Amino acid sequence: MSIADQEKDDVLLRRAAKGDEEAFVLLYRRHQAAMYRFALRMTGNTWAAEEIVQDVFMTLMRDPKKYAPTRGALGAFLYGVARNRVMKHLQRLPREIPLEEKNEDGTGSGVVLQDASTPSSWLEKQERMRQVRAAVLELPAEFREAVMLCELEEMSYEEAAQLAGCPIGTIRSRLHRGRALLMAKLEMFRDVPRRASVAR
Amino acid sequence: MNCEEFGAMGLDAERDATLSEAQRAAAREHACRCSRCAALQDSWQAARVELRAFAEDTAMAEAPARVEMRLRQEFRTQHVTLKARRVAVVAAWALAAAAALVGAVGWRNWRHSQQEETTAHLNSLPATNNSPKNSSVAGANHETPAEVPNGVQQPGSTQTASSETLIADSEFSGFMFLPGAFASDTDDAAILRVRMQRGALGALGLPVNEERASEWIQVDLLIGDDGLPQAVRLPQ
Repeated sequence: MSIADQEKDDVLLRRAAKGDEEAFVLLYRRHQAAMYRFALRMTGNTWAAEEIVQDVFMTLMRDPKKYAPTRGALGAFLYGVARNRVMKHLQRLPREIPLEEKNEDGTGSGVVLQDASTPSSWLEKQERMRQVRAAVLELPAEFREAVMLCELEEMSYEEAAQLAGCPIGTIRSRLHRGRALLMAKLEMFRDVPRRASVAR
Repeated sequence: MNCEEFGAMGLDAERDATLSEAQRAAAREHACRCSRCAALQDSWQAARVELRAFAEDTAMAEAPARVEMRLRQEFRTQHVTLKARRVAVVAAWALAAAAALVGAVGWRNWRHSQQEETTAHLNSLPATNNSPKNSSVAGANHETPAEVPNGVQQPGSTQTASSETLIADSEFSGFMFLPGAFASDTDDAAILRVRMQRGALGALGLPVNEERASEWIQVDLLIGDDGLPQAVRLPQ
């Protein structure tokens, strides 16, 4: 770990507030991936995720005093800002599910063929991924957030509750209902090809 | 633990740190006893594997480089603007301070040169000042204040006035006789330089421009033997 990496977020933020661009970029690089993943999994849209990440760091840049180190880590603060932006986005576009993830150059999602031995198994895996993504994105926002934080980000219930700003019991309840819905949807997706093949 | 409780917290009992060991044991025991809940747990485990695969699929996702570029650009714009504003404020204050300093120094120099000029002038006329005639003239002026026109600063009345009241040289050229005065009365006359308002010339019977009546001017008065002004001269 370099000296810069060892520096604490709040020190970097103070430097950034004084106009140190490199400190700000360091903070951005440290937290952008987590924010982007969160936004991408919640919205299912790369453009929206990109906008949300940009908004989050713009907020940090324009008003760094909004973050108080005594109230928690910078990562949690950024998650909170990102969560608000995501919820606003979902309220505006409640059912936005892109058919296919595109890269900047318009190509596919950029998933690299790593463990699939044949193209057909790779395709099958991709299809299943698409189904899981669709199932997650079809969950109501609160359930999706609980599933995303606890299952995809592998946070503890306490951490998830802290980020979502609700009691642990609420997170557990949302997770329970989210899981039930998710299993039902996955089962449904699994059944559709079976029925199709039986019909053939 | 019943099926409903198992559904609420038994599915993820091993991960839930808020559950006690007894609750976890109860969940395990229920899953062994209830085939429906066991199937539910299996189903959830399968779904979880798929979720993990989905998580791994997006684990390396990062914001595109253009976001960083945009943020850098915005950062520069914001901080350069701030810096420029601060520099402008500092420059304005520095200019104002410099202007005030130049003004103060200029005023001080002007005052100093004025004082030096006055002192030099006074020093250059010691003989005239000490002559008994002039003393009598000055005395006459003190004794007959009513005869001096209104607005004339009398010599010796204040420190400033005394420093500014000068006895001019004895050249009689350029004098303009006041109405009623005779040239013969000025044989032993003395010249007294006074500061007076231009309007006071009117009291001596001279024409005055009303618009400039309040201006302070230096005037040479030719004082006759009787102590009254006989002629007046405006020194250049």
